[in-house]
Amino acid sequence: MFWVNPLALFAVAAAAAPVLIHILIQRRAERFPFPTLRFLQPTRLASIRRHVLEDAPLLVVRAAILSVAALALAGPLLLTASRREAWDRRLVRAIVVDGDSAAAVPDRDGEQRTVLMQRQFAGPSLADGIRRAVLWLETTPPARRAIVIVSPLPIGSITHSDVAAVPTGIGLRFQRIGTLPSARTAEGGRLLTSDRVRSREVTLTGERTSFRDTDADAVPVWPIDVVSADHDREVIDAAIAAVRSRDVWVAPPDRRARLVLVAPADRGDGAERKDSTADASPIQRPWIADAIARMTRDPDLRAVAIRFKAGLSDRRFAVSPWQALAIAADGRPLAAAAESADRLLVASAAGASSLATPVLLRSIANAIASPPDLRRAEVMPINDEVIRQWSRLPAPVGSPRIDTVEQDDRRWLWLAVLVLLALETWMRRAQPTAVERRAEEHARVA
Amino acid sequence: MTSASDVTPPEVLAQIADLELVARIVVEGLVSGLHRSPFHGYSAEFSQYRHYRPGDDLKYVDWKLVARTDRVYTKQFRETTNMASAIVLDTSGSMGFPVADRAPMTKYRYAAIAAAALAYLISGQGDAVGLLGGERYVAARAGRQHLRGLLAALSSLSAGGTWSVAENIRRASERLSRRGLLLVLSDFYDDEERTRAELKRAARRGHEIVLFQILSREEIELPYGRDLEFADLETGRALAINASLARRSYTDAMASFLERWHGRAGAEGFHYSLIVTDTPPARALRQFLLARVAR
Repeated sequence: MFWVNPLALFAVAAAAAPVLIHILIQRRAERFPFPTLRFLQPTRLASIRRHVLEDAPLLVVRAAILSVAALALAGPLLLTASRREAWDRRLVRAIVVDGDSAAAVPDRDGEQRTVLMQRQFAGPSLADGIRRAVLWLETTPPARRAIVIVSPLPIGSITHSDVAAVPTGIGLRFQRIGTLPSARTAEGGRLLTSDRVRSREVTLTGERTSFRDTDADAVPVWPIDVVSADHDREVIDAAIAAVRSRDVWVAPPDRRARLVLVAPADRGDGAERKDSTADASPIQRPWIADAIARMTRDPDLRAVAIRFKAGLSDRRFAVSPWQALAIAADGRPLAAAAESADRLLVASAAGASSLATPVLLRSIANAIASPPDLRRAEVMPINDEVIRQWSRLPAPVGSPRIDTVEQDDRRWLWLAVLVLLALETWMRRAQPTAVERRAEEHARVA
Repeated sequence: MTSASDVTPPEVLAQIADLELVARIVVEGLVSGLHRSPFHGYSAEFSQYRHYRPGDDLKYVDWKLVARTDRVYTKQFRETTNMASAIVLDTSGSMGFPVADRAPMTKYRYAAIAAAALAYLISGQGDAVGLLGGERYVAARAGRQHLRGLLAALSSLSAGGTWSVAENIRRASERLSRRGLLLVLSDFYDDEERTRAELKRAARRGHEIVLFQILSREEIELPYGRDLEFADLETGRALAINASLARRSYTDAMASFLERWHGRAGAEGFHYSLIVTDTPPARALRQFLLARVAR
């Protein structure tokens, strides 16, 4: 048994109140001054018990009315086998399409169940559509639930993590429609080289990927300010030149970064460099958070950090708002990031001449840029074997969310309340006859 | 003959505070129709014979003398000092039933009215009357002035607490200096054996005993039908019972109690009247007085 409004069950206790009051209140006999007690024999005080016995059936009926009404308000739901079978016979279906398949109608694919509800979800990506479909399915009435993904299913349109995010009780079916082109060319982003900016064009032909770079009409701007000792400027410039020689992605003009090399104090200018990190603040801009996330996943940065002997000694860099980017051999962060006046702020324990510094510079430059998303240019479909592994049937209905049940069993309880009300009326109207008889008997005695 | 509508009902008498006025009303209601005083000649002594005259009461003809002399002579009596009466009025708490807010007149008020009427009647005949009630004792004397004083003393009394009827019967009996009339107004809930013993002792002293047992209709019939906590007006002891269930045993016990007083009073030669307080006092006393006149 489930209850749609379980708080209403507290009202059942209220039905006991009149019963308890009726029974517990001791009616004191009226004090009556009398000349002498010598002729009076002790008797039981009949009126209280008699009153209770006479009223008991009516009291029980009234208490039952209140109790059953409270149970009805609580919205009982009895999970019978027939009810479960009825739920399992129907299907609620979400159809996820990408932009190319917006008008698609899934085939039945042997579906025997009655489709109770169906809704289509189209969005910028299949992953986004799947996420919204899952949220919607949680609000639907009890039934088997399924998501049908209708798309050419190119590689990258759905990943393992997208599938894993779908609850296991929801069925997954993939319907491949349309064909992918044999080749596709897409814009591949902009690169910052040693002395210019180049535009890249990527061509996907089957399994082959090729690209072509052309000069772009843009001024090359290095997006990272490096704060170091004056005598390290040449080394820093050389590191920057080395990074640019390997090409890095061009960052949008409103994204800047600052790298502070926090050297040991014996260099004499440590206090000045520490001031450059004093304005660190918690991260609020999404692009900065994305950049930090990319940097923590940079394998090159991790590899160079683990060989670095000593990380940042100041404990300030180990707590908020600083986020560790890579951990040195001593367990302390080699580099930590924060936000500072709308730019990415990175503090590093590596010196200017350390190998870690150019690796860090390259990681920062690529992280703050927006790498091109070539997923929509993909021409290779997801392998059929992978699709088969992802596919599954909708599971039988388990314990439903009570707020999604369209109809509970309260109507039977309300019917019982009506019957009890009729009974109470009949009992109440039948009572005065007994009272009148007692009144007559008292009159005869008097 | 006074009709039933001519006697003043108890609830009306209860509204009159002046006991002398009440007594006069009651006495006027009961003596009309009485051709002779019920108390006249009681204490007369024989003085001489005289020839019978038509109209003389044949009761006073000396028939022995007629047999001896063939002449009819009537006894004449010298009236001695008037008859002395003592009214013993029960002022115990039980006489305060029904309590004031439940009925127009309590037993005590009724008894006081009856005592005032009797005192008024006796004094009006020229006889001496005294009173014993509560802590007050008024010696038996004749005269209007004395009557006023007695009624004032009577007005000052009230019912409450315990009061021994037997003890006060003994006191009143001892203080009546000569053979007299002892009128006791009570419900007689006191110790029955002791009360009877004192009454018999008083009778042995030569007093005439008149008993008025005054009860209310409610305490005779117990007409209640619900749970009540009966509280004794004298002792304060309480008993919670259902009156309907207790009614039969109560009325049987009450009937036995009344029968005992009636039977033993008759066996001892006492005059006994059971007066229920819903009877107009004049009517209740009239029955007693008519019986005396008829003797």
